[in-house]
Amino acid sequence: MRTTLLVAGHHARRLVRNPALVLILLAIPVSLAAIEYAAFGRTVAGGKLPPIKVLVLDEDESLVSRLVPQLFAAGPMRGQFEIEAVADWTTVRARFQANDASALVVIPKGFQDHALAGTRAELAIYKNPLQSILPGVVEGVLDVGAMIGNQILQEARGPLNRIRHLVEAQSEGSDQDMLEIARGLAAAGRRFGSLASLDRASVGVERPGAGSATAGPLEAAQFFAVVFPGLVIFVLLFISQALAARLLRDRMRGLSRRLATLPVSRDAIVWGGILYMFAALLVLLIVLGGIGRLVFGISLDRPLPLLAIGAGFAAFAAGLHLAIAGVARSDRTAAFVGTAVVLVISLLGGSFVPVDQYPAFIRPLATLVPNGAAQQAIVSVLRGRGLADVAGLVATTWLWSGLAIGLAAYFERRRFTLS
Amino acid sequence: MPGIELSSVRKSFGATEALRSVSFHVAPGEIYGLLGPNGAGKTTAINILCGLIRPDSGTARLSGQDVGAGSADARRSLGVVPQEPALYMEMSARQNLAFFGRLYGLRGTALREAIDRALARVDLAGRADEPIERFSGGMVRRLNIAAGVVHGPRVVLMDEPTVGLDPQTRLSILDLVRGIARDGAAVLYTTHYLDEAERLCDRVGIIDHGTLLAEGTLDELRRAAGAQDIVVFRGVFKAVGDVPALAGVGEADLVSRSESELLFTVHGAEGRITPLLVVAQALGEVREVAIKQPSLENLFIKLTGRELRE
Repeated sequence: MRTTLLVAGHHARRLVRNPALVLILLAIPVSLAAIEYAAFGRTVAGGKLPPIKVLVLDEDESLVSRLVPQLFAAGPMRGQFEIEAVADWTTVRARFQANDASALVVIPKGFQDHALAGTRAELAIYKNPLQSILPGVVEGVLDVGAMIGNQILQEARGPLNRIRHLVEAQSEGSDQDMLEIARGLAAAGRRFGSLASLDRASVGVERPGAGSATAGPLEAAQFFAVVFPGLVIFVLLFISQALAARLLRDRMRGLSRRLATLPVSRDAIVWGGILYMFAALLVLLIVLGGIGRLVFGISLDRPLPLLAIGAGFAAFAAGLHLAIAGVARSDRTAAFVGTAVVLVISLLGGSFVPVDQYPAFIRPLATLVPNGAAQQAIVSVLRGRGLADVAGLVATTWLWSGLAIGLAAYFERRRFTLS
Repeated sequence: MPGIELSSVRKSFGATEALRSVSFHVAPGEIYGLLGPNGAGKTTAINILCGLIRPDSGTARLSGQDVGAGSADARRSLGVVPQEPALYMEMSARQNLAFFGRLYGLRGTALREAIDRALARVDLAGRADEPIERFSGGMVRRLNIAAGVVHGPRVVLMDEPTVGLDPQTRLSILDLVRGIARDGAAVLYTTHYLDEAERLCDRVGIIDHGTLLAEGTLDELRRAAGAQDIVVFRGVFKAVGDVPALAGVGEADLVSRSESELLFTVHGAEGRITPLLVVAQALGEVREVAIKQPSLENLFIKLTGRELRE
């Protein structure tokens, strides 16, 4: 054991003295996450999608027209839109050119009159041509709002007609008028009551590579808690490859043979290399987790489950590339095979494309490959689930790591066996 | 008790016989040169003594202990200096020696003193803490030797440690080897440089195609070479076919013949050049003639039928 620790410590000191490649690889997930952070801002880091900015040009300026913006500002969509009233088309053009708004809703003059008369009341929407998705969201919400508005008008047709007559007659109406109008609106409200549940709706949030998690309208769905672990796991596989390549080059330069002439157990030398790889990758994983916590606000409330998953994956990554290095005859062969394996399992595990987008028959593979299992386990834990909830994923990760470490030990040991 | 002992060792790699019943021994304080061209079997012998490969038959002993799988005692008395430096380039000289010293079981003050001694011996004490990737080739080779002897071994195996070095660096390394032997270590030194063997070694074994052809002190080997000179004709020759009678040449032998070279052994070569030239011209076109005086090289040519080249 002492020799194993001595060899592992020796390799670790070498890494500390020459960390350039590892630092570069470490910078990759941090940089990518930082770019996303810069693009979407703190709101995303905090877990919310950025609000969609909607301009409203109200040419009617009536009681009913003022209800239209409430489609975006109330109910389940509250917080998802930022509504801004504009006074003229010049302002609209300037805001669109600056890509500072997704859509414009125009409420034409006479909108209230048409609505109360039961004739066709139209809203106009203008989409910002610089954007593709967000204007469509605005249009969708407006369509739903119009449908609901029509239904309300149908249900409240009687009392609304009475209001319109009173308005046209410029009469304040009697107490009896007010009572009947109130009763009519109340009855319409009761008939329409089922729609009131919309205001208390929960939104099911589906994120790439994970199951659904229910969050209330104001609860954050942690964006970075999904993206960052995937990046980290992907890059950790390449860091492992770089570390294993160093050990392979040692072997090619005759260092392994020299160590084999020393009066120490050859198993101890082999396990020293494995221990070094495992420990280095685990430390790097913890460092990346710390960066995620400090920079991107990822919550690490359950460190022990995360450590169990991380340790399993670090062991797998170490074993995988040491096994490849143990078989490869040259560092070029090891680099080719290692890269191919990493790309394939990363694709299957959902590092590049959300697993949800895969055909159904491929989707289960994502949780069977070690990186996919580890990634989904980490994401689930970051969303508040416990170790017991992800036991299957953790077991998958550790099974793979056991296999990889076993192969690595076998192939490395074989290099030391007398011929 | 010999420091190094190889007895009737055979080793084959597939159909290739790398060692054919090779035996030799090296006493403590002695430098034994194993001389032979590339592929002669020198490195195979070293690898067997290191415990890196197993002989098919025969025994290898270091300080009286069998070298075999897991023989830690035998390996503890052993220092190995491989042909190519096996060092960690990003580490300093001191860190490299500390790592190897610890694996040899040295600790604390003993380790520090051993490192200082080794650094002083290879004249690198002043640059002990620099990463060795900044060192010249000669400095790295010297440190390679220091890493092999940092623990004060009783047996040192050196596999062509001067290959590719400039003459000055080679001389300094030969001095180092002499110092190691003076300290009492049995040194097995493989080389294909004849001059190194002549300058450095107390005894020399000549090996070719896995067979130890001759061994002894330099005087013994020179005597074995006899008083005959070697006459070399270089040019373009018929590699096969009848050789004209060596009439009037005296006791001359054609010991080697190829399309580019003819080698004759003869007494008093200066007086026999003309008749030998006639014979050589009968076999082809002569472009160059050389006479080699009795030496280790002559013996090598006599034994192997070829010159020793890199």
